[in-house]
Amino acid sequence: MAEPLIRTQGLTKKFGPFTALNGIDLEVYKGEVLALLGDNGAGKSTLIKILSGVHQPTAGKIFVEGAEMKFASPRDASNAGIGTVYQDLAINPLMSVTRNFFMGRELYRGVAPFGLLDMTKMDEIAHAEMVKIGIDVSDPRQAVGTMSGGQRQTLAIARAIYFGAKVLILDEPTSALGQKQQMGVLKTMMRVRARGDIAIIFITHNEIHSQLVADRYTFLALGEVIGGGAKADLEHDEIRRLMAGGSDIGDLAKELQDIQAE
Amino acid sequence: MSDTTKNSAERKEADRLQSGGLLSVLKRRPEAGSFLVMLVAVIVISFASNGNAFNPLGLKNNFTVISQFGIIATGACLLMIAGDFDLSIGSMIGFAGMSMAMMLKWGLPFGLGAATPFTAFLLTLVMTLAIGWLIGTIVVRSKLSSFIVSLAFLFFLRGVTEVSFRLINQSTQISGLQDFKETSWFAAMFGGQALGWFYDTWFALGGNINRAGNQWVTGFDARFLWWVGLSLVAYIVLSRTQAGNWIFATGDNSESARANGVPVDKVRISLFMFTAFCATLFAACQVFDTNTADAAKGNLKELEAIAIAVVGGTLMTGGFGSVIGIVFGAITFGLVANAVFFIPSIDGSYYRVFVGVVLLTAVFLNESVRKRITGGL
Repeated sequence: MAEPLIRTQGLTKKFGPFTALNGIDLEVYKGEVLALLGDNGAGKSTLIKILSGVHQPTAGKIFVEGAEMKFASPRDASNAGIGTVYQDLAINPLMSVTRNFFMGRELYRGVAPFGLLDMTKMDEIAHAEMVKIGIDVSDPRQAVGTMSGGQRQTLAIARAIYFGAKVLILDEPTSALGQKQQMGVLKTMMRVRARGDIAIIFITHNEIHSQLVADRYTFLALGEVIGGGAKADLEHDEIRRLMAGGSDIGDLAKELQDIQAE
Repeated sequence: MSDTTKNSAERKEADRLQSGGLLSVLKRRPEAGSFLVMLVAVIVISFASNGNAFNPLGLKNNFTVISQFGIIATGACLLMIAGDFDLSIGSMIGFAGMSMAMMLKWGLPFGLGAATPFTAFLLTLVMTLAIGWLIGTIVVRSKLSSFIVSLAFLFFLRGVTEVSFRLINQSTQISGLQDFKETSWFAAMFGGQALGWFYDTWFALGGNINRAGNQWVTGFDARFLWWVGLSLVAYIVLSRTQAGNWIFATGDNSESARANGVPVDKVRISLFMFTAFCATLFAACQVFDTNTADAAKGNLKELEAIAIAVVGGTLMTGGFGSVIGIVFGAITFGLVANAVFFIPSIDGSYYRVFVGVVLLTAVFLNESVRKRITGGL
């Protein structure tokens, strides 16, 4: 494959004496889904926050399309084409779909910040972008609070893509959703993948979901990459073992049996 | 069985939101409740006052009070939509009134000579905007509740007003200032009359006649025009501009607004300055109309402004509200506050009973509206 869309090299982050990340190397290519798996405290959140410009790395480099980047703020990362969809989605429930879609990047005529909003055009765009990604909101003027969790997730994804995200970071997009909505989000991810020009970093705890959509895996434990590879090359049990941070799931089964036997 | 599976296959997530008729759309509007309350107030007061509340003079006097309420409630409303409170509005009115009257009586500070209505107003506005900026900056920087910070300024500003009065003026009130609105167009802009054509037309049509047979009332108070203008600007800014979107976003969820590039801190500070501006406007109209000032002016006005904002459909928690609702709320409050002059059998205490009842009802109503628009989440 050609140049990765985003690549990190020896990314390290220390919070005082605590080493959150210890030399992470990562590569994501256009049109693929990289599943980033790891137990709680493995460093997933820190890694995302560095990639999205919230934290600055202590050492290491980030390359976007081959060029080294330094992100001083989330704005920088977003301008470089990194769109992050957080767990809380950064969505305002009382505001309409359109107003959320364009929040902070409104279309207006006149002098900022008192320029008149072009609501008709914004409604059209918001609706069209949501349809593209697979959700036909009946009325873009409806409050986001009326939408389901899966739809909100889709709104956040559509917004990130519309505003130029080349790398989409999804932070546990399927957790806290019902079964059917989880499937909806996975479908959305596959539609984005099918466009071919966007790389997705999919953070999840859910092994089944990762197997459904991911092309490649990277496993984190205690701030380091402990394994990874293409889906085809990894055995099911191997995935589970790495997800649990390297401990064997077979051991767990035995331990549980022992407890029962007591 | 085949029926049920067919149905569930055809049903989409989007179908679960009923689009409903015009009525259900209106019910979702933040100003729906306040419109009904206003309607009741207008009807009851018209009957109870035998129509006197809406005769030429009644209309003028009512709109004087309504405009006063409306001006400060508009400021309180925008600020509340952005998620903050300003309890210093009332004290700011007292402070601004004191400042203007004192400059007009004793001259500009630092020996800058005699004050004109224009310089007195301008200098006062600079001070009040600076105080508004200070309140906003403290709230934003300290991350303390605006309730507490502005409560501190409620006491502080009232105290400063009284102290200044006593030190410079030896008395906590000023009266008998020259009638500036007769000589200065600038003072007349605040304290004079406006929309005279309305009453002229009324007279030409055969109404608006006093006992001597001449034209009775010649115009509304100028503050009526200020209120209309302020409401119009606030309405456009809030619902039609980028700044309006930022105000809603700040109050709804400031963290997500920030993450999307909304300058949350600037929005909040600007709105504290806007409430300070509204309070100054209120005070200027009062000073130039009556040519008096008093340290107690504006007392409790901040609470009335908040009450009107809530009755107008603004959510206490921010993120939702409308300027049209404030217009309805101000009309309601103004009419009821003034009702004592038109209905002989009641006194001013009824007004406070009314405020209490309506306020509580409005809060319940707003909460149900919020649940309706967010689908009960």
